[in-house]
Amino acid sequence: MNRPLNRIVVTGLGIVSSLALDREGTWSAMLEGKDGLGPLTRLSLPLEPAQIAGQVAMNPARHQTLCERTALRALDEALDGFQPDGLPDRIGIFQGAGTSGLPVAEAFLEERLAGRRGRATESAYQSPSTVTDALARRLGASGPRGTVMNACSSSLLALGQAWERIAAGELDLAVAGGAESLCRTTYAGFSCLKAMDPQKCRPFSRDRAGLNLGEGAVQIVLEPLDRAKTRGAAIYAEVLGYGATMDAHHPTAPHPEGDGAARALAMALRAGHLEASEVDLVSAHGTATPANDGAECLAIRRALGKAAASVSVTSTKSQFGHTLGAAGAFGTAAAILALRDQVVSPTLRLEDPDPACDLDCTPLEAKARRVRAALVNAFAFGGNNVSLLLRRWEGS
Amino acid sequence: MTVPPPDLELVITGLGLVLPCGDGVKIARASLASGLPCFTDLPESLGHGHGGVCTSFNPTGIIPPMQLRRLDRPSRFAWVAVHQAFQDAALDPKPIGERVAVAVGTMTGGSEASEAFMRPYLSRGPEGASPLMFPNSVANAASGHLALAFGLKGPSATFVDRENATFTALDQAVHWLLAGLVEVALVIGTDGLFPLLFDICRGAGMLARHGDPEVGSGRGFLPGEGAQAFLLESRVHAEARGARPRALLRALACRSTPDNTREGRHRALSGAIVDLGGAPLDRRIGGGNGLSRLDTLESLLARSHPDWPAAVHPKGLWGEFGGSGGQLFAAALLEPAERVLVTAPASSGAQYAALLEEVSLDPR
Repeated sequence: MNRPLNRIVVTGLGIVSSLALDREGTWSAMLEGKDGLGPLTRLSLPLEPAQIAGQVAMNPARHQTLCERTALRALDEALDGFQPDGLPDRIGIFQGAGTSGLPVAEAFLEERLAGRRGRATESAYQSPSTVTDALARRLGASGPRGTVMNACSSSLLALGQAWERIAAGELDLAVAGGAESLCRTTYAGFSCLKAMDPQKCRPFSRDRAGLNLGEGAVQIVLEPLDRAKTRGAAIYAEVLGYGATMDAHHPTAPHPEGDGAARALAMALRAGHLEASEVDLVSAHGTATPANDGAECLAIRRALGKAAASVSVTSTKSQFGHTLGAAGAFGTAAAILALRDQVVSPTLRLEDPDPACDLDCTPLEAKARRVRAALVNAFAFGGNNVSLLLRRWEGS
Repeated sequence: MTVPPPDLELVITGLGLVLPCGDGVKIARASLASGLPCFTDLPESLGHGHGGVCTSFNPTGIIPPMQLRRLDRPSRFAWVAVHQAFQDAALDPKPIGERVAVAVGTMTGGSEASEAFMRPYLSRGPEGASPLMFPNSVANAASGHLALAFGLKGPSATFVDRENATFTALDQAVHWLLAGLVEVALVIGTDGLFPLLFDICRGAGMLARHGDPEVGSGRGFLPGEGAQAFLLESRVHAEARGARPRALLRALACRSTPDNTREGRHRALSGAIVDLGGAPLDRRIGGGNGLSRLDTLESLLARSHPDWPAAVHPKGLWGEFGGSGGQLFAAALLEPAERVLVTAPASSGAQYAALLEEVSLDPR
């Protein structure tokens, strides 16, 4: 890939999670080994065998989905009072969407099935781009927008898209991330695919039995390095590039040898002009499904080669459940904070590692270590793989 | 704005179309030239009313029957359109699969399957849920099916940016090509009708209630379905493999407005057009659909530019949604022209304008 025109840094990070409604609260709870999984209360699905989810302590408002509310809250935290000046058409908004307005559509369908009219205002349909538009409104942005729906890799691709536009010199600032809320369609869908664990999920474990679903939002502010320095912004990390591939293998299952995932990881390294030996952390997709975790570890080994032996791997799914469209952004948040604080958040409940996942998957406790660069993975239905490459910001 | 540099001019070498008027470029061209709307009564499976239904869609000999059963409507349409596009470009993608990108725009992708999955679930609980339905409930289902069918292994993105999702997809594809990540990019707009869509649009008072939609009337639109596939590559790459372009993508511009007022959207769309440059035009394709939200923007443009040729509005013939902007881009390729402007207003989000040059009907 061509070298980017600009170096791009992260200057803002906002998190709304099932652990806490802010960044530092979430991060300190992660490092303490807490999880945000608990009894399912957002949805009433008594016939479903799995009754565990990661739920945020917020509710939708009238004419505002939970995704929109959490996304705006995360944006406010990421901006931390900063109101971008300059040209609004050089500010872009890139979002990964998952369920988005589905709960509203479900409610409408339920009304129709009951023989009632339903509230079919236009907003009832709640296009996923509604969240993107709301963030643009809050920011006063009139530049490019993109709402990616690549299922579980959506928000990581949105981050890649934002990086790409700033790297090309088209934008002065971008906000990228994702928001997700629990809904019946995804809950029932993963359940009928037998992909849900009725207990708390156990990524990389020998007895892993599937995922838990989660919700929340992460928003990340990206800027060219020179602009960030000029305005004296706090810099969390540098974004070096991303890779994206398709498996062309199966509509839902990952390639068993991690072929497409390994290519995405390698593509990210090439984009960032970084050697595998400089990577110390992989913030993994790590869903805890039998098919994903082994294939992902194989992909990491294929992409990093010998360097895989010294890399730390962690899965945020053990804290938040699988936040689907926002999952890549959650993984990125964990990587950014690990780069900042030089500590890797743990993979919870990893007491009996699967021999097929023979990497250091950071079991049970946070691990203080040197973290120079980090890769973030997000994989999705359709054999869609995305990897993002970040580097520690050391002030030079 | 994205203007490919002279040494990286991007051309369209493959075109595939599935539309309410039928499958293929010739039928689409005849439909556009006739100016006759293609709306029909909905089949029973879609409820009641009118829409731009792909009644003559024929995947026989293209999609294997076993696969056909597993696909939702947007994936079926996209598969056939992509098949046509690769044939049109005389390109076998499998040997270069890792160097082919796929960018999809859709308003309805995943929604048909979501509704089909949830109807029995809401009525009968978990025992009514079909594991076969759920995988198609994601908007990117089509790209996954296409990857499998055509051996596509490069980057892929599916966008859901209202009426202009396919322009966002085009924008992304252009970035991948210009960054040198891929040799070829496949841009697809695809949408499929489903009953709840009509319920929602009807309930919100957006549908044309009496007869066909009339662009400029403000009386509402009719939904349509279908897919459009465009194969993009650099001119150098096309020439090296002996492919002749259907058109040159001179520039693509997008602006948005934070406030989403009519004035803001007009300002954004006008700004995008200014970004493209002001040379004389042979043809203009517009995004009017019969609903005042989009039609007003088109009429304001026409008033500001009396020198422009009158716009052709494909959504008035083939419906809204049916390709999420892809139908506009396709229409620009259906008559020879030196310079064609495509204006793509949206009800919110990014407003797009594209400039095509050297449009040729029969490149071979």
